[in-house]
Amino acid sequence: MRTWTGSTTVILTRERLSEQRFAPLIWGGAFGACGALMVFIWPVISDSIAQIGKAYPKALMEAFGMSGLDTVERYIDGELFGMLIPLAAAVLALRGVTRPTVAAEDAGQLDTWLTMPISRRALMWSSVISSGVILAATLLILYVVTMAASVLAGSGLSAAAFGRGVLNVWPLAMVFAGVAALAAGLMRGSGRVTGVTVGVLTAMYFADLAGKLASNVSDLRWISAFRYYGSAIEHGLDLTNVLGLSLTALALAAAGAECFNRRDI
Amino acid sequence: METTGACSTLGRVPPIIQCVQLTKRYGRSRGIEDLTLAIEPGEVFGFLGPNGAGKTTTIRTLLDLHRATSGSAQIFGLDSRRDSLAIRARTGNLAGDFAIAPQLTGHRALALAAAVRGVDDLTRAHDLAERFHADLTRPLRELSRGNRQKIGLLLALFHSPELLVLDEPTSGLDPLMQASFLELLEEERERGTTVFLSSHELSEVQQICDRVAMVREGRLVAVESVDEMRDRASRHVVAELAAASTADVFERLPGVSDVELVGAVLRCTVRGDVGPLVEALAQIGVHDLEIGRPSLDELFLERYREPVAA
Repeated sequence: MRTWTGSTTVILTRERLSEQRFAPLIWGGAFGACGALMVFIWPVISDSIAQIGKAYPKALMEAFGMSGLDTVERYIDGELFGMLIPLAAAVLALRGVTRPTVAAEDAGQLDTWLTMPISRRALMWSSVISSGVILAATLLILYVVTMAASVLAGSGLSAAAFGRGVLNVWPLAMVFAGVAALAAGLMRGSGRVTGVTVGVLTAMYFADLAGKLASNVSDLRWISAFRYYGSAIEHGLDLTNVLGLSLTALALAAAGAECFNRRDI
Repeated sequence: METTGACSTLGRVPPIIQCVQLTKRYGRSRGIEDLTLAIEPGEVFGFLGPNGAGKTTTIRTLLDLHRATSGSAQIFGLDSRRDSLAIRARTGNLAGDFAIAPQLTGHRALALAAAVRGVDDLTRAHDLAERFHADLTRPLRELSRGNRQKIGLLLALFHSPELLVLDEPTSGLDPLMQASFLELLEEERERGTTVFLSSHELSEVQQICDRVAMVREGRLVAVESVDEMRDRASRHVVAELAAASTADVFERLPGVSDVELVGAVLRCTVRGDVGPLVEALAQIGVHDLEIGRPSLDELFLERYREPVAA
């Protein structure tokens, strides 16, 4: 008889990773293709992009996290890490939480698994952990594909700077995995949980953007996870923010697991 | 503490399942109301009711998928909420609408369930798979409903649980597999397994269950053995009289109703003692007499035609 939640969490995490083994290849492949395209074309477009960058309004550049478009790192930072990768990674992370929980509940699968000695906390934690691992593997593939393309194209992308940018995405995306966990703990229905989480994601993104563009609403940024994301390529990894976002994700997931444990399935 | 049916715990092994005034409401909607019930060890217990009566809500509350609004439930003497994991470790369950991830094969689902339950020996699982002709190699999405149901039965039974909770277990199974399943339940009964069986298949309940509970609009309306229920229920009488008589002769008799006399053929319904009717018939004389015991289907319908007690 096995009733220890920890070992069940390990079993479920392993199962989830096995079931989703192609997800990093698919998502990471798509992310990597974007990165590879950018570094491939950089040697050809660098001069004209630099000119465009100079023509951009400074406030707009800052709003989108760009300090310029004169180097491949800045170009990647603005184009890849400014919006595309963080938002897509957040969607991947939240989906990693909703599929084995609320989506499985919608499909009636939890009536089978949760009448075995599987605690709901174990189910939620295994979803969050596997989501984090899948996201990390996806980002690793983004890194490897983009750096390989950079070497082939001779675009000179700094491995360390790009690595910082990739690493910086993980805690931000995991905050939205945490939001999804909390929403799944509070309500039923995969569509509703996904909708609420994507709504929070969009609201936070625009709160940060609006705060950057208009000083009278700059306080809005404090409630946005994007405020603590910054630009790791340009300014390096802010470990305080990385830790803060990671702990926020953890706290949200813990609250989600507790709520999920209390509600009806 | 009042329990329904013959379920006093004094001087006896405690019940495997004991609910006391178990109530589950969904906001203002009714789920189950004041359900008091005890199921003895080794008993095969049928749980009957029409759709929406509260059968699945009862099972989901017992297995801690739903949290009771009030009242309590104990399984193996453990609290169904607080000790839910320990209870589920000793229980096998087949949900009414069995589902697992469609990409899983039976083998994979079984391996996962075995890992979760800490079961290393899968001999019984493979024996059961062979017995039910269950295909463990194909993903569930490629299997018919009946074949998926076989995987569900396997997952419920492979670890030799002390308690089986089965919600419509034979739905989708062909008649041969249904017979095979009922045989298996007989074996489980001999092994001492307690079975809580929710079903619409009254014939299988009649065949396999020791006692039956009927639930209606969330409330328990009866808990008794199938035989007791049939003894208490009305019987259909058809008699071919040897001499002329009138309907009012029979209508006056205690417990006799629905009297219909067409020519020499009398049809009526008797509730309770058939003695007075038999005596009256003997005085008139009969060529033929048939007293039919009602089927469980008829008993079920009879129960559900009665108005609900407030």
